[in-house]
Amino acid sequence: MRAKNAPVLQGEFAGVQRRLVTDREIRYGPRTSVQRHCEAKQAYSSRMARKKQTPRDESRRDFFKTVGVGSIATAVVAGVRDADAQGPAPVGPGDVPITLTINGRRHQLSVEPRVTLLDAMRTRLEITGQKRVCDRGACGACTVIIEGRTYYSCSMLAIEAQGKNIRTVDGLANGNTLHPVQQAFCDNDGLMCGFCTPGFVMATVALLEKNPNPTPEQARKALDGNLCRCGTNIGVLKAALSAKGVTRG
Amino acid sequence: MADQAQAPRPPQHDKYPWPEKSRLLGTRVSRIDGPLKVSGRAKYSYDIVRPGMIYGRILRSPHAHARLKSIDASAAEKAPGVKALLITIKPGDKVLFPGEEIGALAATTEQQAADALRMIKVEWDVLPALANVEQAMRPEAPQVFTPANTRKGTAQEDGDLAAGFKNAAFTVEGTYSTQVQTHTSLETHGCVCEWNGDNLTAWVSTQAVHGTREGFAQGLKIPQANVRVITEFMGGGFGSKFGPDMQGLLCARLAKAANAPVKLMLDRKEEHLATGNRPSAFAKVKAGVSADGKLTAFDATTWGTGGAGAGSDYPLPYIYVFPNRRRMHTDVYINSGQQRAMRAPGHPQGCFVTEVLMDELADQVRMDPMEFRLKNLPPLAPNAMWAKYFPMGAERINWKSRHVTGDPTPGPIKRGLGCSANRWGGAGTGARAHCEISSDGSVVMRCGTQDIGTGNRTIMAMVVAETLGLDVPQVTIELGDSNHPFAPGSGGSTTAAAVMPAMRVTAGKARDALFERIAPQLGVAPTEITIGVGTVIAGSKTITWRDACRMLGTVPVSVDGQWERGLSAGGTSGVQFAEVEVDIETGITKVKKIVCVQDCGLIVDLKTAETQCYGGIISGVNYAVFEERILDRNTANMVNPNMEWYHMAGQSDIPDIDVVLVDQPERGVIGIGEPPAVATAAAVANAIRNATGVTLRSIPITPDKLLTELERAGGTN
Repeated sequence: MRAKNAPVLQGEFAGVQRRLVTDREIRYGPRTSVQRHCEAKQAYSSRMARKKQTPRDESRRDFFKTVGVGSIATAVVAGVRDADAQGPAPVGPGDVPITLTINGRRHQLSVEPRVTLLDAMRTRLEITGQKRVCDRGACGACTVIIEGRTYYSCSMLAIEAQGKNIRTVDGLANGNTLHPVQQAFCDNDGLMCGFCTPGFVMATVALLEKNPNPTPEQARKALDGNLCRCGTNIGVLKAALSAKGVTRG
Repeated sequence: MADQAQAPRPPQHDKYPWPEKSRLLGTRVSRIDGPLKVSGRAKYSYDIVRPGMIYGRILRSPHAHARLKSIDASAAEKAPGVKALLITIKPGDKVLFPGEEIGALAATTEQQAADALRMIKVEWDVLPALANVEQAMRPEAPQVFTPANTRKGTAQEDGDLAAGFKNAAFTVEGTYSTQVQTHTSLETHGCVCEWNGDNLTAWVSTQAVHGTREGFAQGLKIPQANVRVITEFMGGGFGSKFGPDMQGLLCARLAKAANAPVKLMLDRKEEHLATGNRPSAFAKVKAGVSADGKLTAFDATTWGTGGAGAGSDYPLPYIYVFPNRRRMHTDVYINSGQQRAMRAPGHPQGCFVTEVLMDELADQVRMDPMEFRLKNLPPLAPNAMWAKYFPMGAERINWKSRHVTGDPTPGPIKRGLGCSANRWGGAGTGARAHCEISSDGSVVMRCGTQDIGTGNRTIMAMVVAETLGLDVPQVTIELGDSNHPFAPGSGGSTTAAAVMPAMRVTAGKARDALFERIAPQLGVAPTEITIGVGTVIAGSKTITWRDACRMLGTVPVSVDGQWERGLSAGGTSGVQFAEVEVDIETGITKVKKIVCVQDCGLIVDLKTAETQCYGGIISGVNYAVFEERILDRNTANMVNPNMEWYHMAGQSDIPDIDVVLVDQPERGVIGIGEPPAVATAAAVANAIRNATGVTLRSIPITPDKLLTELERAGGTN
């Protein structure tokens, strides 16, 4: 007999497995780790803002309207101060100048506030290592590392990414010498068409910088946010478990 | 087996046969384009940026079946950044599936293009649509397609069906079904088109650079000579990318109209809706078996849908010998995107239906399913080796530990084993190539084939290196360009069998031409010169490859060659075994292990051949328990056109995979892309049946289906 609480999904969502469905997910799709992170971050900053007795609890959307030009860190403070003083100063819808630090290089560009970090890199800066595949935080092909952890760059706005050290697959190799993780992917045939590979490589780098000797279980877990269609996962796991010499990040 | 006669060695190529003892072939060589792909330096069509390039987007029908009332694009035309706009539909025209292309525009940025698209006002008369085969087959269904919503296939009949059923001690009757799956290539369909006067250069994500050139020329009514198609790297196709398609032609026309290069890559939703899928399959089967376990009869009525006006046939029965059989197929049309070839088209469907039926029949006669299969296989042949492979696979999965249907172990986790067999063609012909050896010793091989992720580039280099006595990195392979000599599209697992002979012959000819040129300087006859390892041996003299090439002076060796008989073949066979654990409280299946025994003729690169098997098996696991295109039953719109609700295996869902590749060097090269993808779903379904004791005749086997079936069976505890 099956347990009382067993998830049984019917109707249009029959066929869905692996996770329970909430009303929110039916309406908006499942939340990605990035979204969860953003929400947590937003909750934190609004708590902080309340502590500073700002006049309003800014939602994420209002937040963008009030953010001034410049790095996000200063913008939060500036936005709060501006809100105190003279009300929100809208940004966009036209282009705004921003500065992104990618693989140690500063890039100045101007984008509409709605442009994602992924699209800004790919279409404005020609940094095309990370791929656009699902464009909604499900497949991981756009995975970048920001301050030691992975982000889906399709689910982060370019203006949000200012003032942060963004790492992509393009910056891993040292000239023609591949990063140990890149070399491990080649040696273990952890790639076929190669379109998911940059995302998998970055997810593996982030894992090994935290935990240089992961168990197979830990490695699988760390790579669960990435999808491959050719079916390279066997080689990918071997690569993640055999890459040696990744320095703790 | 009695009929296991020693197959005569097939005829070999007389001038350039595969070496008896090879230095590189059959070893493990890493992909030569690996470093480019892992470092982001490989430029896919999606990554191409041209000076002044603008972005195209396609306007699509939101409805499954509708007639256009009016369309007004005047606002979009004047929208910021818009450089070109095309409308390809006129009032009164009908659309037949959601996502059908009705126009396109190009603007300076992607965001402007998306904004402008929304400004196009379109009014429709929405017509009744057919969202699934049940709706389409109802007698009272609205007639959506002409001449009818269904099309009868020809009846296939063999033997005496009535006598067959008379001889049957047991019969099994059931209706089996498989879902529609979409290709979900990670790089979506699309291209960058750039005109230079009347000449078009297109960077296309395609499996056929030459076929796509032809498609552009026909679609745009320009000479093929004016078109160049480039596909240096491409992010997966699986059978869905063989021509420019609508998006390619629209992109070229936008580029012409805007007088600027245009990039038009589809988004994920468009990819699911309009770029192909594997048709569904349904089969109402009655089959008979004699008391001693011999198949006697097979009678099937089958149907399936390939979408709006496309076929859905598949091979049935699959592999096993039913002496008396009849089969009647009907194509059913519904209002969804059309099917395209997908990784072994037809075979996974036929395999699933037949193999699950085989397990049910085996239970009827109380035989071990593998023994039962061995009893009903066609005779052994080089391309039909199942009788040999089944015991090999059984050993590795520990088939002896298999219990009869229904795991008797108490507790919610039930373990089970299953098996199945597959076959495929994989022959290829027609590839041409050009080889150049320069005085500095460098070797360039040019061929208008493409590497769609299979490792084609790598095995090409291996064959050339083997033939010229060089190391793989010493060979430069240029492919993915329609300016190179013709090679066929990469479909049907034909590429290796088409291209490797061309490599062998062309490199062999280049070697002979080199000998011819340097023989006078070496003072020997060309026939006395041979190739060593990195050396050229002339009688008693051995000189390095570089020194030999230096004798060429300014004029390089430059020869053409092509596919020739005696170096490749067709016909593969394989078996797979699955081990699963099913939690009967949640209905969740965990595929634990897959064993695959597979042949593919002469193995060129063992490493990439194994990866092909891993990939095929993982796609089979997806087909068995995860992926399904789900259409809304009222609107026929796809409800999961993305990658979070269109489920595919993540890293934690991947089973252990044990691949045994059987080398058949005497047969020459045969393709391996599709064969391993065929049998997995059936083996998994049989393993689930063995674990739970309930028969699921429909994939994907999702928790809801499994729990419903367990409930119906009264639970297993």
